[in-house]
Amino acid sequence: MTVNIFVPMEFSSSLNEWINSVVETHGNFLHSVSAVLLKNLLLPIEKLFTGSPPFLIISLIGLIAFLGSRKWMLSIGFMLSIYFIGCLGLWEKTMQTLALMGSSLILTIVIGIPIGILMASNKQVSKIATPILDVMQTFPLFVYMLPAVMLFSIGKVPAVMATVIYSIPPLIRLTELGIREVNHEIQEAAKSFGASYWQLLRWVNLPLARPAIMTGINQATMMALAMTVVASMIGANGLGEDILGGLTNLDFGKGAAAGVAVVILAIVIDRITQSFGQSARAKRTRVMGAAGGQK
Amino acid sequence: MKKLIINTIVLLGSHLLLSASWGATPQWCSSDKPVKIAAITWESGQFYGELASLLLRNGYNCKTEFVTGSTAVTEAALVSQDLQVWPEQWNRTEIIKKGIGAKKIELVGNILQGGTMEGWFVPEYVVKGDPERKIAAIAPDLKSISDLPKYKAIFADDEDSTKGRFLNCPTGWDCEMINSRKIKAYKLTDDYVNFRPGTGGALDATIASAFARGKPLLFYYWSPATLMGKYKMHKLEESAYSEACWKTLADKSNTNSACPSDSPHYQLSFGVSAGFKAEAPEVIELFSKLQLTPEMLNQVLAQASVKKVGADVMAREFVKNNRQLVNSWMTSEAVGNFNKNFK
Repeated sequence: MTVNIFVPMEFSSSLNEWINSVVETHGNFLHSVSAVLLKNLLLPIEKLFTGSPPFLIISLIGLIAFLGSRKWMLSIGFMLSIYFIGCLGLWEKTMQTLALMGSSLILTIVIGIPIGILMASNKQVSKIATPILDVMQTFPLFVYMLPAVMLFSIGKVPAVMATVIYSIPPLIRLTELGIREVNHEIQEAAKSFGASYWQLLRWVNLPLARPAIMTGINQATMMALAMTVVASMIGANGLGEDILGGLTNLDFGKGAAAGVAVVILAIVIDRITQSFGQSARAKRTRVMGAAGGQK
Repeated sequence: MKKLIINTIVLLGSHLLLSASWGATPQWCSSDKPVKIAAITWESGQFYGELASLLLRNGYNCKTEFVTGSTAVTEAALVSQDLQVWPEQWNRTEIIKKGIGAKKIELVGNILQGGTMEGWFVPEYVVKGDPERKIAAIAPDLKSISDLPKYKAIFADDEDSTKGRFLNCPTGWDCEMINSRKIKAYKLTDDYVNFRPGTGGALDATIASAFARGKPLLFYYWSPATLMGKYKMHKLEESAYSEACWKTLADKSNTNSACPSDSPHYQLSFGVSAGFKAEAPEVIELFSKLQLTPEMLNQVLAQASVKKVGADVMAREFVKNNRQLVNSWMTSEAVGNFNKNFK
């Protein structure tokens, strides 16, 4: 005979009731908040992407890639692969996905970097925030996705929220790590010249932590892109729609075409953001080398 | 150890005893092959699956297994004979139609009286109001789909407020394509945005949210379904059903413009693989007799949602409360087995 050592506990029904009551009492308010976010951030960004002529977007991507990497062949290769997505007939959906990713990324950066800085400068905050970040990264998002739909309406807004929750932890962690790992002697030197907290942050910590922060942004971008399918499950349009449609319909071809487009986007964005991180490091070593030479 | 041996002996003994009552045991099951049943992704299908499994295990001495997967995957598996039973089959996908054409599968029974119902709905309080919740009827004259252009401001879309929003079927479902064509056929393209919710869960969450907040919503829904038993929905009238027009809406290969028609009522049945049918005529007989009324089924589904219990529990309760009806589906040998085994 086994002895039951577990005290029975149950919180699911009370949680359900709580969510329902929040929907009844605050649902209308939250829906209007979501409408404001939609009209002022998400839709303008989407119009920017879907409204611009394709050649402009392709050449912009080429230009940014060149600025980051200084490699002609690579930039042209990226332009060709983005052009290829258009040939697959997925241009509009790709732009919708990019817009969703871009909106999420803006929110991720605006929220994530300050939190990372705060965590680096205050151990107490770091102690409290670290387990929260663990929850954000591991808690199955299908669990909170549908309550989010009930609270904030279906479509892009809950999709962006889920994307931000999922992609913000690496940026916060890497920002904190980057600032913590800044050479203490350099910080001491700056302080001894009378640098205030903000001056230290602006001119020493952030520039030196830049490679780590860029890696964080790169990771956040990749994770945001990985969320496209999940986003389409709650009515956000984009490439995820085709993947989901292919999935429910046993239409491998349709799903694969959209999948290829996601992979191309991922590779291009990954290389571009990485090249900015690397070139920052390369530039700095060049500058420091030159400064050393002057002495 | 001793207990284990005794258990084994008892088990073997009962197994022999069961095989002895061969009258109800299909050949498929007496050769110890499990009956693989598709695990359906919606509640009523899950209930039919659990009900069938319960009857097969207790009445027909079969082993049953549930196999999970999306509708398309399990349907394909049924056609390829990897699954034996597909509960609550609607007979509307290409996979099933081709499978029937190639004699790989067969649809048995008429498991819901009157068949299915589907269409475009609004919450009842939009048309009739709800004095208890102090909701005024904001569209008392909204009767049919052709009235919708007048009411687009009520169902305004979040992204394009000059249009109304129609909440379509989830992406990739057959009803999504049919509804998209209906929007064109009813000439609503200028007034309504065709919004696809992505998944059934997101569709349900949006509907539940609108009902909880007492807000108007125009959406597609169907019966049998849990929400149908839970909320009061008002079906918008459509053009009369015409077979020719329905074909222009539902045929995937149709590229011409479609003409409006109501959706037909589908007969729901059990999909069975040809191999299983040949080796289990007893089960086929059961499936051909099994039938519930829509009230019974929606009651079961609403209760499952209120009590937060799974389809397996609901199937057991249904059998307990409707023993006579259940017995009338089975042969007397199977009923005998069932009385012995079901606890």
